[in-house]
Amino acid sequence: MLGFVLRRLLAAIPTLLAVLTLVFVIVRVVPGDPALVILGDQATPEATAAVRERLGLDRPLLVQYFDFLGSALQGDFGNSLVTNRPILSEVRAVLPHTVDLTLASMVIGVAIGVPVGIWAALNRNGVIDVMARLLSLIGLSFPVFVSGVFLLLAFGLHWRLFPVIGSADLNDPLDRLHKLVLPAMTLGLLMAAYITRVTRSAMLQSLGEDYMRTARAKGVPRRRVVWVHGLRNAALPIVTVVGLYVGILLGNSVLTEIVFNRPGLGKIIVGALNQRDYPMLQGLLVIYCFLIVIVNLITDLLYGVIDPRVKAA
Amino acid sequence: MKALLAKVWANPMTFLGALLCLAIVLAAVLAPWIAPYDPADQDIISRLQPPGGAYPFGTDQFGRDILSRLLWGARISLTVSLGAIAVAVVIGGTIGMLAGYIGGTFDLLVMQVMDVLLSFPSLILGLIVVALLGPDLINLVVAIALTAIAPFARVARAPTMALKERAFVEAGRALGFSHPRILFRHILPNIMSEVMVMASLWMATAVRVEASLSFIGLGVKPPTATWGGMTRDGFENILDAPWLAILPGLAILLLVLGLNMVGDGLRDATDPRLRQE
Amino acid sequence: MIRRFGFKAAILAAALAFSTPVFAQPLPILRVGMAAQDVGRLDPHFAVSTIDRVVVAWMFNGLVRFKPGSIDPAEIEPDLAQSWERSDDGLTWTFHLRPNVAFHGNYGMVTADDVVFSLKKSSTAATSAFAADFAAFETIEAVDPMTVRIKLRNPVPSLLGILTNYAGGYIVSRRAVEERGAGFVRSPIGTGPFMLDHVTPNQSAELVAHEGYFRGKPLLGGISYRFIPSDASRDLAFQAGELDVNYGRADQTWVNRTRQLPNVTVDVFEPGELTELSLNITRPPFNDIRVRQALAHAVNRAEFVRWRGADVSREGQSVVPRGYLGFINDPGLLPHDINRAKALLAEAGYPNGLTIRVIHTQLPEMLSGMQVLQQQLRRAGITLDLNIVEHATFHQQIRQDLSPMVYYSAARFPVADIFLTQFFHSRSIVQTPTAVTNFSHCDKADAQIDGARVATDLVEQRRLWAEAQRIIVREVCAVPVIETLLVFGRRNNVDYGYELNGSMSLGPLITEKTRLR
Repeated sequence: MLGFVLRRLLAAIPTLLAVLTLVFVIVRVVPGDPALVILGDQATPEATAAVRERLGLDRPLLVQYFDFLGSALQGDFGNSLVTNRPILSEVRAVLPHTVDLTLASMVIGVAIGVPVGIWAALNRNGVIDVMARLLSLIGLSFPVFVSGVFLLLAFGLHWRLFPVIGSADLNDPLDRLHKLVLPAMTLGLLMAAYITRVTRSAMLQSLGEDYMRTARAKGVPRRRVVWVHGLRNAALPIVTVVGLYVGILLGNSVLTEIVFNRPGLGKIIVGALNQRDYPMLQGLLVIYCFLIVIVNLITDLLYGVIDPRVKAA
Repeated sequence: MKALLAKVWANPMTFLGALLCLAIVLAAVLAPWIAPYDPADQDIISRLQPPGGAYPFGTDQFGRDILSRLLWGARISLTVSLGAIAVAVVIGGTIGMLAGYIGGTFDLLVMQVMDVLLSFPSLILGLIVVALLGPDLINLVVAIALTAIAPFARVARAPTMALKERAFVEAGRALGFSHPRILFRHILPNIMSEVMVMASLWMATAVRVEASLSFIGLGVKPPTATWGGMTRDGFENILDAPWLAILPGLAILLLVLGLNMVGDGLRDATDPRLRQE
Repeated sequence: MIRRFGFKAAILAAALAFSTPVFAQPLPILRVGMAAQDVGRLDPHFAVSTIDRVVVAWMFNGLVRFKPGSIDPAEIEPDLAQSWERSDDGLTWTFHLRPNVAFHGNYGMVTADDVVFSLKKSSTAATSAFAADFAAFETIEAVDPMTVRIKLRNPVPSLLGILTNYAGGYIVSRRAVEERGAGFVRSPIGTGPFMLDHVTPNQSAELVAHEGYFRGKPLLGGISYRFIPSDASRDLAFQAGELDVNYGRADQTWVNRTRQLPNVTVDVFEPGELTELSLNITRPPFNDIRVRQALAHAVNRAEFVRWRGADVSREGQSVVPRGYLGFINDPGLLPHDINRAKALLAEAGYPNGLTIRVIHTQLPEMLSGMQVLQQQLRRAGITLDLNIVEHATFHQQIRQDLSPMVYYSAARFPVADIFLTQFFHSRSIVQTPTAVTNFSHCDKADAQIDGARVATDLVEQRRLWAEAQRIIVREVCAVPVIETLLVFGRRNNVDYGYELNGSMSLGPLITEKTRLR
């Protein structure tokens, strides 16, 4: 078990190294001088040079690269050029918002998607199935900024049920929940659409397997066949896909955060791009990749729980 | 093939999707003739007009006709997504086939690079690339293609690996066929359908990513109309003129929905597992 | 197994959660909504963006200040200095400090040492964005703990202007700067009526009242300065009563809609930001004055004002904003005339019009203005091929002289000299060691600008400034377009404590007298 986790983590190291290098290169090639961002529109070339020196941007690229690699591997991404605070503490300040949103959307997605998917599979080509397929198609066709704007118009502006500013006070659980509803619905419905489809097709496939037919032929009650054997087999593809969708969720959270004005990782990455905050951009990209690697690892481990055969492999 | 097509058309959802796509493609192609106004022309006096009257869908904050901008905007959405997916299919497909066919260290290395690409959320990757290259039509195509290369490489690699071991490929090799010939004459046709189904579904994703990037402010430059950009501008005027955000939002939804319906139909018709029942 | 993962996740979440103490205050907190992603630098000498300037003004003082609500240089009044003398030649200035002025926290009282330190920091390029303003300063010294003497190399048109509560004039605590180092940008110490409690990135800056403020204890308990970049979200929050003061859009539609809200007042105030088009006169196509004149004829200022709205904007009248000391309203601008523009283009060898590749920012405010201009020029046959870059890149690339035309909006200290020098003196030409923002490479009025700066006779000074404006307009180094005023909405129970007609900090000044009724 522990060996498996360690092996997987070790296997992720080349990926992370490649990511770090890529990130370093990307960030240097982006035009725009951070010194000018700091000094504003009346800066003289002399002042700009002074600031570049203070930020260490005048050093040779190779020196900057190894410096970056060295500290990144120790988990130190340096200080933000804009706020002058450590990147990690900046990220930590907004991470709860992103985690809230991701988890809540995931829960909404699974809570709606799995039962509806199973229901649809059991009624293959029936009214329920057609409805579920049509609605899930519509759901996954909605760009989140469009569904977000629609929800905001309806619930924020028209019915005034939820606040329009999404930046919640983290110490007030009620406030936190209240402001989470609309953004989580936006992403949760998208997730539900994806998960419904995957669940449906996985269930269909699992119900079609030989041993399932055998079980049914042997007289095992239908309900038991479906819920115990069918779902157990369908769980694997569902978990895989849910894991994959965390990436989609993280990407789409940029849009949700803009529409609902919520703090979060997506918002700081857009800010860092605009302000040419190199260290922040580097740190964020690495953190994004790291999150995805971790999610993949968790997905793999869940395989073992669901299907003991995988663990042996 | 005919049977396949018949199967595709028999599904009413696919038919509806194809109809939607066709309508939007027609609107895009005919935009210069059917758009009532020049999409960039500003009539400052009649800015933020509600739908109806001289401007059937109203005007934006510069007094530009929304209907005309929607029609012209369809061109951008379609061009960018078609272009990006074409690039991704060609590059990703080739990489995947080569990796699967050659195998060994090459396969390992290439798939490692693909894993790196896959470890960024695609919207974030697109965001960085466009910010890096500067927002214009070509760069959008490049950015969106980049996010789709890795999935296509994966989809092409797996069946290639399986086919490599199959009797007819072995036979071809025994007959002394060159590698390119085996790849393109024997393997490619066999993986085509899977790649095409995926391409149709990824078209939908590409339309959405393009719109999302425009919404963030990294779209094709003004005065060119894009649906994502129009939604964004509309959002900023949502209290004065909600239709500015709703109309282009609906347009994006319809196109993505149409593409997804077609893609779904194609997949159901080609998926052997679903076919047997 | 699954449970164990859940447990780990919970620990992780708990470890990552960031807790901020809630500050309890008996007095009301003023909630201000700002169009911003985040605050930038709160070291006042680095506060260059509107977002930073607005809040810095609530936390710091200068030796002198503009009367609250006014930007009239004639109404400059004592602030940290209670009196001052100037030598007959105007080169030596002596300031007597107000006694018992306390810094925030436990940073003690203001002494001449802090003032000298602050002004020296302000005038040094590495520690200030405003160093260029202090070019004429020869020495800054403490005569005694309560007296500061400044010696100038040459007279400047308004020394007090440089020392006001604006830009480089703010006084900081020497001990705080030295102790906090680079951290000072996010934990500044000043003398103003409010002090920084904490900043939550991308969310808000929380200020609390400075009980020991030398003008008296503030009537507000604090200020919550909230960053809400989307106009729509901010407006909704303001309407819903989640904000007391709201950054407004300089747009008639916005003003009209907001004025209709119950219990809400819209304040429109100075300074107006002047938008000008700088044309690079040294390179094709704008090295031909006929092309520059054609462009000037193609610009329709009246339409710009119609687009923005008459309440919040007015036509640019000169290459210096209206109302600045030395401004003239008749420099001889070319009128809007499409046919004349086309004729001039044909004469210059472009009978079918021409295309110009222009670098511009994606900042929504500036981009929308550019789009109006793009369409106006298109009517005269001038096509602008916009290369839209993100705002920081825009600032970098226009300084690398990469754009033949630069669309730029600015407000400066209201004296013609500063605007003319920064934008039209050859010393300020971009890509030179002393570059500022002269994008046009204009060098036609150097003699007049320099002469006016050192002129001791006020009539002569004004004559030279007027002449400079006429020359720059005649040579079409730049085309003035529109002046846009500042717009803020407030709920009627907000009483600033003064009449708001203008604010050099680009947002309403919140003073010790500001209260919620």
